[in-house]
Amino acid sequence: MLTVSGLRKRFHRDAPVALDEVSFEVKEGEIYGLLGHNGAGKSTALGILLGMVYPDAGEVIIGGRSVQREREAALRQVGAIFEAPAFYEYLTGWQNLKVLTAYSGGVDRDLMAETIAWVGLEKRIHHRVGTYSHGMRQRLALAQALLPRPRVLILDEPTDGLDPEGIVEFREQLFELRRDLGVTILLSSHLLAEVEQVCDRVAILKAGRKIYEGPCRGLARDGALFRLATDDIEGARRVASELGIGFGAEAGQFLIPETVEPADFVAALVARGLRVREFTRLEATLEDLYLEVSSQSR
Amino acid sequence: MPLFLRQLYWELYRMFARKRTYIGFGIFLAVELVIYTLLTLDRAERGMERWIERVAGGFEHYFSALTLAFLIVTFTMIVLGTIFVSLVTGDIVAKETEDGNLRLLLVRPVSRLRLLVVKFLACQIYATTLFWFVGITALIVGLLERGWGGGMFIWAPELPRVTIFEWGEGMARYFLCIAGFSIVYLPVTGIAFLLSCLKIKPAAATIVTVAVVLADRILSKIPLPIFEDYQHWFITSRMESWLYLLYQDIPWPRVLEAWTWLLGFGLTGFVIGWVIFERRDVKS
Repeated sequence: MLTVSGLRKRFHRDAPVALDEVSFEVKEGEIYGLLGHNGAGKSTALGILLGMVYPDAGEVIIGGRSVQREREAALRQVGAIFEAPAFYEYLTGWQNLKVLTAYSGGVDRDLMAETIAWVGLEKRIHHRVGTYSHGMRQRLALAQALLPRPRVLILDEPTDGLDPEGIVEFREQLFELRRDLGVTILLSSHLLAEVEQVCDRVAILKAGRKIYEGPCRGLARDGALFRLATDDIEGARRVASELGIGFGAEAGQFLIPETVEPADFVAALVARGLRVREFTRLEATLEDLYLEVSSQSR
Repeated sequence: MPLFLRQLYWELYRMFARKRTYIGFGIFLAVELVIYTLLTLDRAERGMERWIERVAGGFEHYFSALTLAFLIVTFTMIVLGTIFVSLVTGDIVAKETEDGNLRLLLVRPVSRLRLLVVKFLACQIYATTLFWFVGITALIVGLLERGWGGGMFIWAPELPRVTIFEWGEGMARYFLCIAGFSIVYLPVTGIAFLLSCLKIKPAAATIVTVAVVLADRILSKIPLPIFEDYQHWFITSRMESWLYLLYQDIPWPRVLEAWTWLLGFGLTGFVIGWVIFERRDVKS
């Protein structure tokens, strides 16, 4: 549904590279996350996807149309929130939607009302946006992205500034969009826990380069992560090294490859006289994965 | 409604929904009233009386609502016209880029050219509305002061001589001039729009436009023979072409030549602005 190939971008000759040969593919109906620190290149990538930023090289294809060569045709399938949404404060939410949708060929009044109700803004839609809370602005941003019905939704930090209830509700809405309308979703975020709960796959960007692409739950690493509680961590690390066992991000974490039985590691520790107080398999989180691939790419 | 008109309608709706629009129009009205007050002070009125009596005769006839309205409009446009047109047009792209509104528009399936055409036209319509507002309110002020009927007495430094019209012809010429302002101010719109498309602060677009027009005005008025050959290159010399509409016999070929030049200048500003904007990355 969305193919990004070989994107390269440098804003100025002397500036560091913003994107360096970034490629990825988002399949139809998938929720795909773009992760990275501030300045990693997420917004630049989304800007190129939306035809707002011109790449030095590479191309983006959405639904078979090139954003770089047929921008309007490609974007007809897309709804987006790009960077912090800035509405006209002096207009009502409804009027803002009318202004924006006029550039998408206009939208049927019923569809507009339905979308507004779906995002939960029906009571305040005829109030000035200047009176809206941050959460309400985000809802309005989502409403404008959904008008008219897009096949692909591109969201830049969509939960930024939302309260926990807002985040949960937003997550449910994304699932609903995929389930009911089959919308393909690409979102960028630095909220790892949030992305982990929503996305099927992620790409991690660092300094403009893609350093990881794949599922966001622990399948990427070679082996399983365990937490060990013992009086002599240094001794345990020496034993681990001898067995070819790696280390996790924290001192008591060990990355045991598939070739080593965890029980053998414990047995080796006990044989060396170490007291094992706790040995637990850790379910790898996206945060672990993120930290791991980030540290590997240093 | 065709799509383009719908986009233009909502752009205008947005512009006229701003409080600033009404503050701006209110300022114009206030300036008109100040000028009216100054023109009707005893001393000013006696000066006008002596002059009209000497040149045309019949002060009561020629110091009419139309004469008063013409003077109010002329002085108001000199004081505020360029500033307001620059302010509105200088903001149209630069402010929306700075505030981020443009990002929401540009993620839509619309070309940058179309977006800019809509915005440029909206600025022109907005300015035209302002000119008619000034013209009509000045006439209302004149009518309240001097009543219906009489002649129209016109003098401006750029006119070859004093011109007088009777009521019907004067009214037609008055409204022709108001309509002419829309073309006359096109270069100001063009310069401000071009600057607005650059990566600069909105205020800078306005200030630079006003500075360019002011510098052009000063240079064009320097009484040196060297400048005489270049008068037709000055924007403000061309902008004075609306006064041709007040000649007894309107020199239409000169009007058309000047207006073609002004139109060309304004559109050139738009095209350069578009080319620059088209090549820009839009990102905070």
